Amino acid sequence: MAKKSATQAPLTPAVLHILLSLSTGERHGYGIMKQVQADAQGKVKMGPGTLYGSIGRMIEAGLVRESDKRVDPEMDDERRIYYELTRAGRAALEAELKRYRGVVAVAEGRFAYGH
Amino acid sequence: MATDPTGRRYRAWYARLLRLYPRPFRERFGEGMAQTFHDLRREHRDAGRGLYGLALWTFFETSVAIVRENITHMSRLGTTMLRVALGALAVLMVPLVASQFVEDWNWPVGAFVRVYFLFFGTGMVFALVARRMGAWSYKAGVGVALLAGFALGWSTMVQTADSGHPERLWFLSVLVVGFIGTCLARLKARGLALTLFAMAATLALIAVVLPSGAPPYLARNMAIGHGVFVALFTASGLLFRHASLAGLK
Repeated sequence: MAKKSATQAPLTPAVLHILLSLSTGERHGYGIMKQVQADAQGKVKMGPGTLYGSIGRMIEAGLVRESDKRVDPEMDDERRIYYELTRAGRAALEAELKRYRGVVAVAEGRFAYGH
Repeated sequence: MATDPTGRRYRAWYARLLRLYPRPFRERFGEGMAQTFHDLRREHRDAGRGLYGLALWTFFETSVAIVRENITHMSRLGTTMLRVALGALAVLMVPLVASQFVEDWNWPVGAFVRVYFLFFGTGMVFALVARRMGAWSYKAGVGVALLAGFALGWSTMVQTADSGHPERLWFLSVLVVGFIGTCLARLKARGLALTLFAMAATLALIAVVLPSGAPPYLARNMAIGHGVFVALFTASGLLFRHASLAGLK
């Protein structure tokens, strides 16, 4: 039930950005943060509290899962937990993007007719 | 790891701040959060930016998240308590209704109240212990152990009262072994597996050594009953062993 509603309800900006950052592959916490920053062109700054709080709720909703704990060769020798999208997470992202496209289409139509 | 003293100090402070999270959250994400803070700090240091602003922002942002998570945690705890209370009430209906139909079952009101709190306590132990761990085998192990322990304690008390053989209270020592083992294991799956195997062995030993004093037909039923309890404790131990091998040390 939670999983179904998670794919249907509008997502919070933090959840949307995390899903988007994981859409191209699994990442650890810092990696997600950097990807979110890059995707939002620096306009969204997510701290560890928001990031891990959102990840906790997303795991419970079945949108993401822990995939592995390993060393990131580009960083240091510390082992990091990686997160990845689930099928429900990908479906939620696609549903949200479809919703956004619908909203944009309505808005563009209104502006085109000067309403 | 942080190599500079300032970085180490900030990381230690941040680790202290993370202790304010509810325990389940902290155990799951605390390490990752500390690591992420360390990565952010290193990024700032390498870019030649000051750490003070980063620390202030991160500590404030995390503090807000801590308040939010604690509110959520308390609200969930309240919901859990309500569910367990209603569940215990539903289970209490069984002896309550049965006592209306079974002769010589004349519990006073106080006995029903005590039994209700016993059900409620057992349910809360399951809810609080089982939700700490994600593994299905750990949850199932807790459920089977509590169910078997509860049934053994209950049947021992009833049989002792009915038969007038106080030596049967020796069977309660199985629960004492379980309690001591659980404390020593600190709820770790591996230790709990050993505890449940020890409980099964203790029960089997008592059942063999202690004369039942019951007529043969009843003694056979009692032996079967003890066999079922030994099997349940062993099954619970195997479930904890499975959880231990799956990574829940």
